[in-house]
Amino acid sequence: MTGAVYDRGYRPYDGPRGGTGASRLALARASIRRALGLRRSWRQKLAPFTLLAIVTIPAVVNVGVKYLTRDTPAQDVEFITYRDYVGVSNALLVFVALTAPDIICPDRRQRVLPLIFARPLTGRDYVLAKVGAMFSILFAFSFLPQVVLFVGQMLVSEDGALTYLRDNAEVLWQVPAAVALLALWYSVIGIAVSSFATRRIVAGATIVGIFLVSSIVATVIEETAAESARRDAGWSTSVEDAPSTSLDLVLPGEAREPARPRFAAGEADPTPAPLLNLLNLPLLLRDVVFLGEIGSGSAMSGLAGGGLMAAGVYAVVVVGALVVLLRRYRAVEP
Amino acid sequence: MAAGDLLLRAEGLTKQYPAVTAVDGLHVEVPKGLVGLVGANGAGKTTLFRMMLGLSRPTAGRLEVCGVDVQADPLGVRQRVGFMPEHDCLPLDQSAADVVATFGEMSGLPPRAARQRASDVLDLVGLDEARFRPIGGFSTGMRQRAKLAQAIVADPEVVLLDEPTSGLDPTGREEMLALVARLGSFGISALLATHLLDDVQQVCDHVVMLDAGRLVVAGATGSLLQGTGTAVVDVGVDGPRLVEALAARGLAATLGPGSTVEVPVADESTLDVVRDVVADLGLPLNRLSSQLTSLDDVFLARAGHGGGAA
Repeated sequence: MTGAVYDRGYRPYDGPRGGTGASRLALARASIRRALGLRRSWRQKLAPFTLLAIVTIPAVVNVGVKYLTRDTPAQDVEFITYRDYVGVSNALLVFVALTAPDIICPDRRQRVLPLIFARPLTGRDYVLAKVGAMFSILFAFSFLPQVVLFVGQMLVSEDGALTYLRDNAEVLWQVPAAVALLALWYSVIGIAVSSFATRRIVAGATIVGIFLVSSIVATVIEETAAESARRDAGWSTSVEDAPSTSLDLVLPGEAREPARPRFAAGEADPTPAPLLNLLNLPLLLRDVVFLGEIGSGSAMSGLAGGGLMAAGVYAVVVVGALVVLLRRYRAVEP
Repeated sequence: MAAGDLLLRAEGLTKQYPAVTAVDGLHVEVPKGLVGLVGANGAGKTTLFRMMLGLSRPTAGRLEVCGVDVQADPLGVRQRVGFMPEHDCLPLDQSAADVVATFGEMSGLPPRAARQRASDVLDLVGLDEARFRPIGGFSTGMRQRAKLAQAIVADPEVVLLDEPTSGLDPTGREEMLALVARLGSFGISALLATHLLDDVQQVCDHVVMLDAGRLVVAGATGSLLQGTGTAVVDVGVDGPRLVEALAARGLAATLGPGSTVEVPVADESTLDVVRDVVADLGLPLNRLSSQLTSLDDVFLARAGHGGGAA
């Protein structure tokens, strides 16, 4: 046919087609791209990559300090532990509040859902893809800094890399497990809350609000219990123990400094109040992963069956949020 | 007709909402091709689309799209069907190329093929220059084209177009209809829901008319219009002579405005007779046009007959 070079006619597609699995993956990939600001303007890339930098800096600094002080006796320098570093991931709350609404709300607000569900996708696929996307990013963002820390420590270790690896072999499962628990927690709650808002700002504020309010409520209960215990013991109330700034609530003390023996045995009986603290609950499970019990930084430390209770609450919240999500997208009509 | 050649087969299809029966015992078989789905707002067009996509469960009856039972295999149907909703539905902060490619992937195309197809179909709908711009900056006409592009990116067997010309200016409307008309030559069937009979008349070879959820009439556009038109003949000052000659041939022609002669058209042979008579008389044939009765008239006549629900 003459002029075929210029013929911009329609060509039917007869190449391979994926099944519903491919469709689901495509939705998850698109959500991840969106959350990371890929193929969007630089402003959308700012938040995720700034956050990645912020959570990675402690690892880099730590490894650097370790390298510079390699001739100083080890006991004179304090290093961040892998367990502490999982706590840094609480900074991810800000990221979740920015990102979860961004991959959910526009679909509803800009009425994209009918187009998505005109594809071979069900409501369940949608929930899985969105939670999966959020989970992957959160996991990657909390895991990468840990890898930096581990590889860095390994390389600057005076005993040699292999010895370091052997000595710290257990963190190879502890870190991914703890990070995965944290990522699942934030992604499921973040997506579930976002699914009820059409405006991103409302969803973001609600996410931050839910975590902070639960954290404040739990802390107040803990402090009240501790205070009455102290009074019973004839001590005066110590103001220093109370959280002084809201930053203390966002980044609990233990994330920034070694555990304070605020709730050491004898001062106050352990209380299950921290179970109400959505912000810190995954850190209780982290303690269980790393220590086999809840660490001394928590008011639950020493409570019999505390780890099981934390795991129970965690499971109930995660499953509950998933059920809410599945019902929310059970029947989506254009 | 084999099930695979049918775009749509409905048997007693009913959708009952608490307050209203949106589709009421619909029995219809629609062949593939360009099909108009006509009805006033609220006639049940969008509800039928929802049920065709498996997003809304019929209260009663059976529905097959491209020979696939929608109830039994909704995902199978959605793999064969593209959908262009009436309202704005595209993410505004992403480029058209991105959005269309992403929807291609979601329809099962491999990522590379999806990007290639996205570029091809955007070219086809006339958005080649604009495809890397965010959709938020598009005009209504461009958004409608981008919506059409995402519907055909995965090369579906059928596209469901819900009011594709809504909100478009006359030029935009013509261009959109021309694109829809081209779909047929791409091997894509289209079901075009609209309340504008003109649109259907212009591009569709088949028409299904709904009124208050019930079928008014379904058939080939040509056959619905056949035998209902008027031919207008302009032979200058010799009109009266033509009327006489046509009367001799059994045609009840009348003098129309100006010097025109109006001839009721029974079928295609009527026009042949007119032409022959004009030639026999040696008259100058300045104009011969047929004013077919519009689908509006068919619709109004049938909807009026059909039970008075309208």
